[in-house]
Amino acid sequence: MITFIGVRHHSPACARLVRETIEELKPAYVLVEGPVEMNARIGELLLGHELPIAVFSSYKDGERHHASWAPFCDYSPEWTALTAGRAAGAQLRFIDLPAWHPAFSERRNRYADAEQRYAEVVDRLCREFSVDNVDTLWDHLFEVPDPDGLAERLAAYFDLLRGEAEAGEDDVAREAYMASWIRKVRREAGDRPIVVVTGGFHRPALVRLAALPGDDEPVVHALPADAAGGSYLVPYSFRRLDSFDGYQSGMPSPAYYQHVFEAGVDTAASRLTEAVVTRLRDRKQRLSTADLIAATTSGQALALVRGHRHRSRTDVLDGLVSALLDEALDVPLPWSARGTPAPGTHPVVVEMVAALSGDRVGRLHPETPAPPLVHHATAELERHGLDSDGARKLDLARDRDREVSRVLHRLRILGVPGFTRQSGPTTGIDPEPVEQWTIARDDLRLPALIEAGGYGATIDEAAGALLAERVTDVGGDVEKLAGVLFDAALAGIPELSGRVLDAVGRAVGATPEMGPLGRVLDVVLALWRHDRLLGTAGSTPLGVVIGASVERILWLAEGVRGGAGADLPRIGALASVRDALVHAGKALDLDRDAALGVAARLALSAEAPPDLRGAGFGFGWSLGSSDAGDPVRAIRGAFAPSTAGDWLAGLFALAREEVLQAGGVLDVLDEAVDVMGDGDFLIALPALRQAFEFFPPRERDTIAQHLLGRRGIVGHSRALLRLAAEPELVAEGAELDGRVAELLTREGLITT
Amino acid sequence: MTDIETMQRPPAEVRYADELRRLRETDSDPRPPGWALSLRAARRFIVGDERHGISKKFVGDPSLIDRSLVSLATSRGLMLVGEPGTAKSLLSELLAAAVSGDSTLTIQGGAATTEDQIKYSWNYALLVADGPSTKSLVPAPLLHGMSGGKVVRFEEITRCPLEVQDCLLSPLSDRVMSVPELTGADAMVFATEGFNIIATANTRDRGVNEMSSALKRRFNFETVFPISDLATELSLVEQEASALLRRSGVTAAPSRDVLEVLVTAFRELRSGQTARGDSMDKLTSVMSTAEAVSVAHAVGLRGWFLRGESGTAEDLVSCLAGTAAKDSPEDLAKLRRYLEQQARGRKGAGWKALYDARHVLPG
Repeated sequence: MITFIGVRHHSPACARLVRETIEELKPAYVLVEGPVEMNARIGELLLGHELPIAVFSSYKDGERHHASWAPFCDYSPEWTALTAGRAAGAQLRFIDLPAWHPAFSERRNRYADAEQRYAEVVDRLCREFSVDNVDTLWDHLFEVPDPDGLAERLAAYFDLLRGEAEAGEDDVAREAYMASWIRKVRREAGDRPIVVVTGGFHRPALVRLAALPGDDEPVVHALPADAAGGSYLVPYSFRRLDSFDGYQSGMPSPAYYQHVFEAGVDTAASRLTEAVVTRLRDRKQRLSTADLIAATTSGQALALVRGHRHRSRTDVLDGLVSALLDEALDVPLPWSARGTPAPGTHPVVVEMVAALSGDRVGRLHPETPAPPLVHHATAELERHGLDSDGARKLDLARDRDREVSRVLHRLRILGVPGFTRQSGPTTGIDPEPVEQWTIARDDLRLPALIEAGGYGATIDEAAGALLAERVTDVGGDVEKLAGVLFDAALAGIPELSGRVLDAVGRAVGATPEMGPLGRVLDVVLALWRHDRLLGTAGSTPLGVVIGASVERILWLAEGVRGGAGADLPRIGALASVRDALVHAGKALDLDRDAALGVAARLALSAEAPPDLRGAGFGFGWSLGSSDAGDPVRAIRGAFAPSTAGDWLAGLFALAREEVLQAGGVLDVLDEAVDVMGDGDFLIALPALRQAFEFFPPRERDTIAQHLLGRRGIVGHSRALLRLAAEPELVAEGAELDGRVAELLTREGLITT
Repeated sequence: MTDIETMQRPPAEVRYADELRRLRETDSDPRPPGWALSLRAARRFIVGDERHGISKKFVGDPSLIDRSLVSLATSRGLMLVGEPGTAKSLLSELLAAAVSGDSTLTIQGGAATTEDQIKYSWNYALLVADGPSTKSLVPAPLLHGMSGGKVVRFEEITRCPLEVQDCLLSPLSDRVMSVPELTGADAMVFATEGFNIIATANTRDRGVNEMSSALKRRFNFETVFPISDLATELSLVEQEASALLRRSGVTAAPSRDVLEVLVTAFRELRSGQTARGDSMDKLTSVMSTAEAVSVAHAVGLRGWFLRGESGTAEDLVSCLAGTAAKDSPEDLAKLRRYLEQQARGRKGAGWKALYDARHVLPG
């Protein structure tokens, strides 16, 4: 006799149902949806850990790299199946495919909600019951109502969900596998009862498949020969449990559901209110008793309207929000959609969500086998003679030393204490090839390594995973992004996964300013073009940064309006884009025509600041664009005293060589300066001086020589470039002269 | 009395009279004192109930409706805030119709709104002839609502001067209004059960007339957001635009491609973020769903009456210039930059057509 219980992962109601069913039936076997590779080690799971913990699985072969977690908390139905099953003396089996099976290649959370993959039915149900999303729907149907008939309701719900959805290929493979285990155990069990605990979405299919005849033996998949990986227990935390989103997400708010599991919905509501209030008051938020009464009343009224016997999670939260906030929100409430709070979420709301999430961290029993990373790190340290304290000097040009440096950088990135770099290259174009390290033993080294074990089985894999996570966290801060990519280069992790590359592109796409992005583009372009030392030449992530930066700078350039003065970083950014087009345009397939279009519009724009207009013109000219226009006419057009210098700064930054080579340009400039009145010249002078700073001394010399030649003066150009007094003083003197002359003229003492 | 048939826009309780009647008849749940429907029935009136033929009247999170109704049943007023064009007024009308069966007790806030228009004024002929009495008193919506136990709607409250807004303080907190000109029992009007206030305010007007914190405390704030997902907004725009086009005598349905590009562009220009997550400039004009519907309408009209088809990307660009950019040269520049750089390189025929049509943008 087989009892199938279809559950939602991390549901207290389901966990209770599983426990009660097992206690009542006393089955001979309890089969649980879980990684089959852990079957031999179920004892390890039941050593007596403090939950939450997770089975961490990693897999790596030539093609893919994958890490996933199967988290357990006190209220996981899978966990209660194991504990209640053990207490009832049943044989325990995990029956799902191992984490490294291709069916899991897209999954990071084994216990993610299947509903998310079959959203259409869920949407219809949400509409039908008029609730915001699947979490609210679930509470409404299962967590809050009386548990009578829960099993039947669950079955009906999942049958409905499954009834219309076509299962994906991955789910079909998993179900076939789970069914073969059920058939095998049924043969062994004879008449004795069996309880099968799986995700509710699989239940209808398993009931059907298990009834089919067949005496096939389920294959316990071993790791493929050319692959590395394994499954280990790691401590987990409520925060991490709550931070999955999208297709990976499960039930939110672990701290709240822990209360529901321990004390029931009603008590959980009061504890939730208490947690939120304590948290807000700790943060010095004003929160009066009247507010609290209003919040509780609203919460209870909402429960009434929604037909709940006790206040559910969202009843409490909605009540609190109604009562506590008296201003407009900038983004919707996080529990009306799914996932983590969006940026701009009201601080009070953020605190509420944090209170629900909780900060419980699991702890492993001391006898738990350590994850492979610990062994790998220890072995690496021994191999390179790094297991004793002291200082190390490494020459990065030597292969052996570079290898050691990478090991140390990986440990540093993983946050393992005791490995400190005293000196070494600080950016991608720093010529320093020597690194100094100090190594010191630290009590926290082992715990840190175990924690880092969650990121991967080897230190390179773990460091790569951690860097990938840092990329996703940088937001729009490109300097931080550059830091991460440089760390990746130092640690010898040249390639990042597609998901991370997307995050890199997004980070660049969110940058608000051209200047910093230009500097980053410079460094990255140099690394991408030249670097053999760190092995980053031609690497894909850098290529992605280059492409995204070019696009973003061009986008930002066209949005700058007005303002005076030459902003050197931003014209520098345009120069970097030009360099990228020249050196990487073909290899990275950058859109040259679009860039030239932007530059041409900039050059002709009436609203763009003069330096960008000049730079826009120089951009087209230096790339030899056919429709850049005639430089001589462009210079004449731009030569207003107040803006000429800024315009020229832009031009010189982008097209210095063209200015020197093209005949006539210097003559036009000379003419234009000549015809300026004294007053105008003094206005234009500082900016003009700044603009000519773009020429190195030798070229300034050439210009001076040319100017002397134009005037038929034979002499040394140096004399023209070296003034007897400070230029500022000369300018002030000229201004004073001018004022005196003006006064004298006004009083009729001299005639002009 | 205007005939319902010729009314341009009958109030909600008239438009949905049949649904309200059916809800009243089958409503067995307890009603808050003074309410025409129970909370649950009022909820069903707005979020819809397909099985009983109650249409869904408001697109948005059902939890917003729950919270709003509960606020109305408590001793605080309800303040709906949000960007223009997020259907705040529609929601307030529906709520009033559900709670009181009457959505016409409406005060329209504005710079020239005075206390008379809110509380009461006088019939001056009677006042001079007989002196102040209940006969010469002309009640305004607030007095009507308080004495009749009905919901009063106050639209665009933050457009009123602060001192005018504050005349709501005692009706909201003490539930009483004094009429000092009268004497005896008539001098105090006590609110009857069922009275409450739904105010709406526009976040674009933030800072024009800040509300006093005393008044803020007497309201529960609910923010109404633009529609959060593309598919829902797209289908709403399609449905509304098609209805408008039919009424304008256009038989061609709007092109799905053009609508999708239109709605996506509106969402991006509204949020200042592309679908991929890049940040960009927001337009200063209001890019609401309502505006999107009117652009879709205009596109359909142009296409049909100029060429006899459903409207193309070129029509879309020229309509965007007029409707979205209005008379702001800055917005026009932002729109141009959007078409030049963001529309370029997106997948789909609609985007390609939009990019190719960018030169249609005037100026």
